[in-house]
Amino acid sequence: MKHKHDAYDVNLFRPKKGYMRGEVVVILVVLFGWGAATFGFQWLIWLAAETPHGCSLLTRFSFFNLPFHFWFTGQLLPLWFIILCVIFNIYIDRLTEHHSRRRDRSYE
Amino acid sequence: MSNSTVNLLPLLIVIGVLVLFVVSGLRYKSREASDYGVTGRYTGRIGGGAAIASNWMSAASFLGMAGLLYLHGYFALAYVIGWTGGYVLLLVLMAGQIRRFGKYTAPDFVGDRYESGLARLISAVISIAISVIYCVAQFKGIGMVFGWLFGTGYLPGLLLGAAVVISYVVISGMLGVAKNQQLQYFVIIVSFIVPLMFMAHKLGYFWLLPQFGYGEAISDLSQEFNILFAAPFAGGSLFQWTALCFTLMVGTAGLPHVLSRFYIVPNIREARWSVVWGLFFIALIYWSAPAYAVFARLLEARAGIPFTLATAAPAADLVVITMAERGGLPGWVVGILAAGAVSAAFATVAGLLMTGAASFSHDIYYRLINPRASEARKMTIAKGTTLALAALVLAIAVKPAAMIAEITAVAFALAGNTIFPVFLLGIWWGRANRHGAIAGMLTGIVITFAAPLFGGAFPLVATLLPITSSALIGAPLVIAVIIVVSLCTPPPSVEIRRFLAEQVHGHLD
Repeated sequence: MKHKHDAYDVNLFRPKKGYMRGEVVVILVVLFGWGAATFGFQWLIWLAAETPHGCSLLTRFSFFNLPFHFWFTGQLLPLWFIILCVIFNIYIDRLTEHHSRRRDRSYE
Repeated sequence: MSNSTVNLLPLLIVIGVLVLFVVSGLRYKSREASDYGVTGRYTGRIGGGAAIASNWMSAASFLGMAGLLYLHGYFALAYVIGWTGGYVLLLVLMAGQIRRFGKYTAPDFVGDRYESGLARLISAVISIAISVIYCVAQFKGIGMVFGWLFGTGYLPGLLLGAAVVISYVVISGMLGVAKNQQLQYFVIIVSFIVPLMFMAHKLGYFWLLPQFGYGEAISDLSQEFNILFAAPFAGGSLFQWTALCFTLMVGTAGLPHVLSRFYIVPNIREARWSVVWGLFFIALIYWSAPAYAVFARLLEARAGIPFTLATAAPAADLVVITMAERGGLPGWVVGILAAGAVSAAFATVAGLLMTGAASFSHDIYYRLINPRASEARKMTIAKGTTLALAALVLAIAVKPAAMIAEITAVAFALAGNTIFPVFLLGIWWGRANRHGAIAGMLTGIVITFAAPLFGGAFPLVATLLPITSSALIGAPLVIAVIIVVSLCTPPPSVEIRRFLAEQVHGHLD
């Protein structure tokens, strides 16, 4: 009975073999890209800060007319989120097609 | 800026746009009925994206975000990032799985996944509270815009605007107006971008893409007036920025009316791709919002108006419109800005009041009080609840406690501290049970309101759990509570664990 219950074990960090494992891998990769770019960059600004207001090389350097850090946060990050979603969708589409074909079932 | 005259041209444009929505909604409805069975409701990925974006756009995006950027500069970019990055969480962690669950509302999901009427009740109450808080922010925006349109100031504007928005909701409901979300998004994006182009052109910046053109204005601000608009920590510390941004992100992935798009979509693949388009359409607005704030600061500095937080804050939520007025844009341009703000707020109010009312009539009244209620009875209850909620919202909005975007952020904090953890573990951890979910949601409610409740006695609480940004610490804490309580109590039934393993995560194995 214990063994049977374990078959229904669902855990993000211990995915089952098959579709769920592939899905969890891409989820963790995307989440890493999401967190590192968002919070990692703010942390970098903080590390680089030379004045109490956080001015540094990152803020003096101008890019696309904007201070670099302002461009990165205000313009690149939203674009980066779109890119992450595209990557996720392409990967999930292919994963789903792969498993559907294996099961000989049309795409859901 | 206070004036005491009616802004006639903008007022006519606002009325025109509202009539357009009702008329097109009626045509949309009849066309839908006649086309039914031939083309169905297929709108494609781009159309779906426009629907997601118009569902999302509220007074907080249209007015509140620029207002906070105007006050706090770089710090307020946390709103831009939080409200776009949240869609990544929603897409990768929730969208596909809640579709495979096949429920209709957030309380339905919670009640069925955790097999508990009490968990359903708590999540329904939370959904209603989120709708009310979110609506208060919209009403503040409506009050300010109507006060400006009629030249009356906030309170008369609020009462007038509330009367118009409630009649709009009631008339739309009676006529059965279908929401034409593509048209709504089109109106919102045009009314946000076109005035900005005018303004950039007038100030002599690159106007074709004002999203980039405003960069020079930032350097002009710092060179001419020594205003450090872009300084990273001038408006808040690293912790405050991170906490706010994280809260808005998990809140986005836990908002009932955003999640509801994914429960019953006919094709999940199309739905996933429409999130990409939706995020793009949202980003178009968010890339532009800082430009309004920068231009407003520049115009004021050039006019010699001194800027202090205390004097600027009361009018800051209207800065999008007052900037256009101060910049001397033609009346019709200012008018379409006001029309865009009103349509964003009206659509959001209509959607949220109905979501809140449905939560009450379906998840509380029908499921818990009177399971034998007829459909007609449920409808009556829902209509009554809509009006009751509107009255409650109006009463709170008479004395708004904060900026539009800040009030909205409280709703996000509540969602991020309660609904998000319960969904996350409900989907991704089969062992999470009803005791854990109930304890977790109650903890989340206390954490959300910890700053006003205990902040006076324990200043540390107010520092660590600010009312707008409590989920950075709150959400992980709630997740920990759910895990510990679940492990100390019996596991959920085999049926639900089997369903989770085989239908939600094993549908292709």
